[in-house]
Amino acid sequence: MEAAPDISVLRLMAAFGLLLVPVALSVFLKMGIVRQLFVSAGRMTGQLFLVSIVLVYLFRWDNPWLNITWVIVMIFFACFSAMINSKLSFRHFFGPVFLSYFLGAGLLLVFFNRVIVNYENIFTARLMVVVGGMLLGNSLNSTIIGISHFYESIKKDNKRYLYLLSLGANQSEALLPFFRDAFLAALKPFMANMATMGLVSLPGMMTGQILGGANPETAIKYQIAIVLAIFTAVTISVALAVYFTARRAFNAWGIIREDLFRKR
Amino acid sequence: MIELQNITKKIDDKYLYHDLSLMVPAGGRLLIKGESGSGKTTLLRMLLGFDFPDEGKVMIDGKKLGLENVWLLRRQMAYVSQEMQIGRGKAESFIREVLAFKNNRYLSYDRSKVLTLMDDFHLAKSTLDKRLEDLSGGELQRLAIIVTLLLERKIYLLDEITSALDQHLKELIVHYFCSLDDKTLVISSHDAIWHDQNFPTLNLGKNGSSS
Repeated sequence: MEAAPDISVLRLMAAFGLLLVPVALSVFLKMGIVRQLFVSAGRMTGQLFLVSIVLVYLFRWDNPWLNITWVIVMIFFACFSAMINSKLSFRHFFGPVFLSYFLGAGLLLVFFNRVIVNYENIFTARLMVVVGGMLLGNSLNSTIIGISHFYESIKKDNKRYLYLLSLGANQSEALLPFFRDAFLAALKPFMANMATMGLVSLPGMMTGQILGGANPETAIKYQIAIVLAIFTAVTISVALAVYFTARRAFNAWGIIREDLFRKR
Repeated sequence: MIELQNITKKIDDKYLYHDLSLMVPAGGRLLIKGESGSGKTTLLRMLLGFDFPDEGKVMIDGKKLGLENVWLLRRQMAYVSQEMQIGRGKAESFIREVLAFKNNRYLSYDRSKVLTLMDDFHLAKSTLDKRLEDLSGGELQRLAIIVTLLLERKIYLLDEITSALDQHLKELIVHYFCSLDDKTLVISSHDAIWHDQNFPTLNLGKNGSSS
């Protein structure tokens, strides 16, 4: 199969022309999002443009260390942006979340490249950078949802937590039901999404591969493997993040600290 | 036995308690009255080590409540509060889970005992098979009480447990607890029905407190 034809700059401008519709609607309905829309679209364009330059060089040099560094930089930015969208305090959570995510997603990335794809050089840019980006982009949000849900529900349902302590539960026994709920919150939307995949949506990675000239059969196998890997990465990262943070999130009396959340 | 010695606590520069001292002997009763925001719940939470006085001491069975004994002393007490979400899943599984906590291992799950207690509190047998999230507020409240009764604690801290219930259930619960002669009861409530029991009473007012 042939790779998709290039898009000329002029024709890409037509894609930007599409924005006229939401802009017109926003002005008409006074939604007040025009500015934000331009900033977001501008950032997307700039960032993707920069990434394309970086990718060109990453592929040209194809140095394992450089590729690994790039993945770590991606994790860093992914953590940063996911945390901005949550209420968790950076001071308490950034380090542990970064670490658990690095371990969770990193492990799955190596497993994917080594065991599933079985390519001799698992640190090559094609696998490390591209598959890494896919894995990271799709699992960090669920991970953050899981961790935020854990702490927010302990704060919100504090009576339930204290009731369990008063019933003789030790710290981990009292946290277990909240841990269970947090997992469900992180994984349930993902499972629903998995159940409709292919029917309702054509996943991005598959689309990309097919456009890039790959056989749809190959693209599907990659897609199946990556979805399963993402799911497992979320599970591992949520578990590790709670494990890494829970010890410091409560004082010796078993009471949740006040400063776990950012004040808005 | 519960003792508060010269407890003072301020919230936003206003005294919640000012030099408050009291004693409830083993098997004794104490009713805490006061408007909402007067510190009834905070007082109960202080006994459990979930909240802390600025000054003064909390003593349980002659021991000062502190980090070295709080986890042990909490196991002398049972705490039930109003409108509490106690968990998810089947009611019976929840009870089993509580009895399987490491600290409760010396107790075993005795279904007939649970059923007797459910009968005492007018809960249908089928409630055990229902999910906690499907129970009504009144059912949940009674189940929360039953769980604490299974643990056979000495001290019961009851925070507005009858407020949301109808008259018939209020009477049922009040009579049940009044019949537990060997238990120490500390009750916070607006309800007239508790006031009719002539328990020693602590009035928490706007300017500190008096008993």
